[in-house]
Amino acid sequence: MNTATPVLSMRGIGKSFTGVRALDDVSLDCQAGEVHAICGENGAGKSTLMKVLGGVYRPDEGEILLGGRPVAFRHPAEARRAGISIIHQELSLLPERSVADNIFLGLEPTRGGLLDRAAMQGGARKLLERVGTRVHPDALVKSLSIAEQQLVEIAKALALDAQIIVMDEPTAALDERDAGRLLELVATLRREGAAILYISHRMAELKAIADRITVLKDGKLVATRPAAALTPAMIVRLMVGRDLADFFPPPGDPTKLGPAVLSAQGAGNAVLAEIALELRAGEIVGVAGLEGSGKGALGRALFGDEPFTRGRMTIDGRDGLIASPRTAIAAGIGFLSDDRKKEGIAPQQSLRDNVLMTLRAFAQRLLPPGSGAMARAAADRQLTEVDVRAAGFAQEIRELSGGNQQKVVIGRWLARDPKVLIFLEPTRGIDVAAKAAIYQLMRHVAERGRAILMISSDLPEIIGVSDRILVMHEGRIAGELKRGASEEDVMHLALGTGQAEAAA
Amino acid sequence: MSAVASHTVPSAALRFARGINVGLAVFLALYGTIAVLQPGYFEVEGFLNFLRRAAPLIILACGQLFVIAGGGFDLSMGSLVTLTVLGGSMLAGGNPENTWWTIGVLYLIGLGVGLVNGLVVTLLKVPSIIATLGMLLSLNGAALMWSGGAPRGYLPENFRALGRLVYRDVPVTGIMPLSVLILIGFVGIAAWLLHATVFGRQVLAVGDNPRAAELAGVPVGATRVLVFVISALSAVTAGILLGGFAGVSTAVGQGLELQAIAACVIGGAQLLGGRASVTGAVAGALSLFALFTLLNLMGLPQPLRETVQGLILIAAVASSAWRMRRA
Amino acid sequence: MSAGADIATARPARDVPVAPLLFAGSLALYIATALATGQHAYLTGEGFVGLTQRMVALGIVALGQTLTILVGSIDLSVANLISVSAVLASFIMKGEPAMIVPAVLAVLALSAAVGLVNGLIIARLDVNPLIATLGVGLILQGLLSASFSNFAGSVPAAFQAFAYGRIGPLPWSVLLLFVLAFAIWLMLTRTRFGAHLYATGGNRDGARLAGLRTERVMIGAHVLCSLMAGLTGLYLASRLRAGAPWVGRDGVYDLESIAVVVIGGTLLAGGRGGVWGTLAGVFLFATLDAVFNMTGIDAFPKQVLRGAIVILAVAVYAVRSKGHVA
Repeated sequence: MNTATPVLSMRGIGKSFTGVRALDDVSLDCQAGEVHAICGENGAGKSTLMKVLGGVYRPDEGEILLGGRPVAFRHPAEARRAGISIIHQELSLLPERSVADNIFLGLEPTRGGLLDRAAMQGGARKLLERVGTRVHPDALVKSLSIAEQQLVEIAKALALDAQIIVMDEPTAALDERDAGRLLELVATLRREGAAILYISHRMAELKAIADRITVLKDGKLVATRPAAALTPAMIVRLMVGRDLADFFPPPGDPTKLGPAVLSAQGAGNAVLAEIALELRAGEIVGVAGLEGSGKGALGRALFGDEPFTRGRMTIDGRDGLIASPRTAIAAGIGFLSDDRKKEGIAPQQSLRDNVLMTLRAFAQRLLPPGSGAMARAAADRQLTEVDVRAAGFAQEIRELSGGNQQKVVIGRWLARDPKVLIFLEPTRGIDVAAKAAIYQLMRHVAERGRAILMISSDLPEIIGVSDRILVMHEGRIAGELKRGASEEDVMHLALGTGQAEAAA
Repeated sequence: MSAVASHTVPSAALRFARGINVGLAVFLALYGTIAVLQPGYFEVEGFLNFLRRAAPLIILACGQLFVIAGGGFDLSMGSLVTLTVLGGSMLAGGNPENTWWTIGVLYLIGLGVGLVNGLVVTLLKVPSIIATLGMLLSLNGAALMWSGGAPRGYLPENFRALGRLVYRDVPVTGIMPLSVLILIGFVGIAAWLLHATVFGRQVLAVGDNPRAAELAGVPVGATRVLVFVISALSAVTAGILLGGFAGVSTAVGQGLELQAIAACVIGGAQLLGGRASVTGAVAGALSLFALFTLLNLMGLPQPLRETVQGLILIAAVASSAWRMRRA
Repeated sequence: MSAGADIATARPARDVPVAPLLFAGSLALYIATALATGQHAYLTGEGFVGLTQRMVALGIVALGQTLTILVGSIDLSVANLISVSAVLASFIMKGEPAMIVPAVLAVLALSAAVGLVNGLIIARLDVNPLIATLGVGLILQGLLSASFSNFAGSVPAAFQAFAYGRIGPLPWSVLLLFVLAFAIWLMLTRTRFGAHLYATGGNRDGARLAGLRTERVMIGAHVLCSLMAGLTGLYLASRLRAGAPWVGRDGVYDLESIAVVVIGGTLLAGGRGGVWGTLAGVFLFATLDAVFNMTGIDAFPKQVLRGAIVILAVAVYAVRSKGHVA
């Protein structure tokens, strides 16, 4: 296999964003009929590498060879014309358009200058069958579930009939049955001679499908090995750079738990039902669940962003449903969004202004912005406490790495010191070092007698950090697990198969 | 820690200095050219008279700056200036005894206009550019309706004095126009509000990322409403000054809102919010006014002002978009 | 996920049919007002033809505006371009029938060029479309007002047929409006460019990832929009028998074209909507005009009311949207 000229070969790729080195001298290749898996932590550079390949970014250094010939893509259209099809991690579908419109976007068949609707319908039907879904070609994408949208995204990639197919975590939103079908499809594509780059975290998948595995860490290539030569534990060690044991902080002391600071009974809204939970001072409670299970909605409901419309809530001894984020904060709740860019930072403001935002939100309007607790020294102390690494605290926050931005937003809440902190995907898209620091920080906060609800899609993090785990399924809390539960236990509950097992 | 802090100060100061200097440098160059053509401008008296005439635009720019910093636009300013001048002459009817309560009523109208703008944007979620354009139409219609299409009445002398009275025999400067004193006071208040209060930081946060501000607890709606009120009150102030030296006509405020926006952009304000400086806006307004003065001196037809302004708007925004892309 | 699959196999219900509802509502308002004020002339065939004629000027420019809004942009320069086109047309024609063709070609060429400039500034220089088109509008208006201060030239009788001529009972101009609407509908729903226009407006980054040249789509939409504004200018020159530098601004075509597009159910953010909704919105505005006339409301309060109606119309759609606008 190694003798033939590889279909795809990337040589010494480097790419930086505003001073952050996202990729550094990465080289990899892929043969026809090979599945080359790429793994690495969030922020390791996988998606950036794929965007360089797809013509979204132009590399600062290095070159891309297709069948031995160098190419330089200036636009995604050129990459596609060269036979590279990419399933991006963020869905790029058009919610207001039909499935067929989406699948053939940019490749619309025409007859006499007009769209050939019949050909689009028929073609879409075939491609949808191939990825194993019965979605109607005329259905609007916004009416589909996340899993179906993911399958449409894959059908869209197949419409191009590419020799090189890149899949960026294609199974992230799929349940086991759909994921299994997708792996069969990948096997078929490999048989048909496609070169496939496959990005995934799921060890079982990698074992099942990959021929070779490349591990990236902090933008650098750590190793490329035949899949057969690697065990899951070895992969993890390569990815994280150390053993996981000291990665997570020690668990909380169950004897030191304080009183309940937040509880909900029979609470619900359009997407949530019969939510009952209790958070006690001093504990970190993890919330797991698949995409669309309502775990994010739970955090937003407790914080009043998409409020509960029924049921009861008690915060710090006081009853009442929270109607808005401002009332939630006033009642003693803090909230870290999963979308740092859209909902976390004010990008053009300084680190100090960002870290002081919540204190100022509740201060007298006409006070000087640096009075009392909002003094510059206090801001700097807070930023130092959360260990922000920056050229200076007057720097605009958009110039920082994701991990440091996240620390600033966490610092914003610590400055206010609420009784309850709701953390949504606290480490999404953050490098390993910052991740560990954030876990330590969370434990410190809990030990100071605060309660943390950590909602996350990252199972190892849920298991490694939480004192107990709530698992969501279809808008309800499907069950609760103690510390020490396994990934399988969580998945059973998340998939809705846990109940059946318990009954059996 | 102290090492970090000391490291940061120059970069921030430098950024701040750069922000001012573009507008200021442009102004100095333009003003220098004017003064070469008309040496009177080199004297203190000439400069103060220039300031007196520029005062309405500077005040409008400062008001507009709050809306821009908060992420919006206020296109109704010019029509509110017109309404102020027309309404002032209708209400006062030339009688000096009516001046003070007339001014009170005008500010109340401004308050109402600002509240409506702000509430339409925050509660009805109409984009400010549409909301304030609709307000522009309505205010123009209202001004015409009130004056019956042909403006009647005139502004009493003590009303007009606010815009055109010049104190003579003042120590140091020789003369001192009343409107320049009003201007200095107004700019001072604006600079204090935007740069030296919690409110100013809230405005910038809301303009930079309203969702993040909301989730951080900032009262986004109230902040938005307040910036439109500030903008409307500054339009009334500008209208009162303008009434002192411009005639009472239905076109007196036409296009001023765009000049104010252009001034803010020249002064380094980021459209759609998050970055703004009062010093920059003042420098931008001075530059624009100096440019118009210069074009007049050079005999350029009046309407070409609009063309020049269009070019400046696009150039200023394109250059700031370019800077953002490179950053 | 099995529940999801079942839902998806059925074709989903379409959204509320904005266009027919708007059309029926406007018609009912028109007839009711005519009956209530006893002005039965409005209810004759001639009365209804007059109603459709009120649609032409705003209708043509609104069709163009539909395209820029669908693609996720906006065009505030249309009113000024309309003035420029009207003046340029009558200035070149100067009453000479022989100059009709050159004048029309000149207007269309200039309009296309303005659209190209708008599109390039927005797509290439990354300037906010509101500011870009506002700036271009100012440039146009300044140049125009500096060159002309009153009616310029005149259009020959032959060209007035554009506004006043009829084929049977139907005015040419009304026919043109509907032909244009049909052509743009066909383009939006049956051509690749139309599909790409929706895609660019719906998700610009996603469309780019799918390999679309989104800059070109953006520029194309602006060129078409400006061409429509140019046509409106030609129509107004024909109707007024000469062009004047204030015809566009007086008609408030920038704001009103945006308003009718939004009223017609096109998303202000782009990606969803179409021409029939826009035409229904135009019909509503024509009806309001007629109703103002029938009830004898003065010009100035009319202006105040229109400003309020524009805001309310946009608010009806916007108020349910989540998140903030600025």
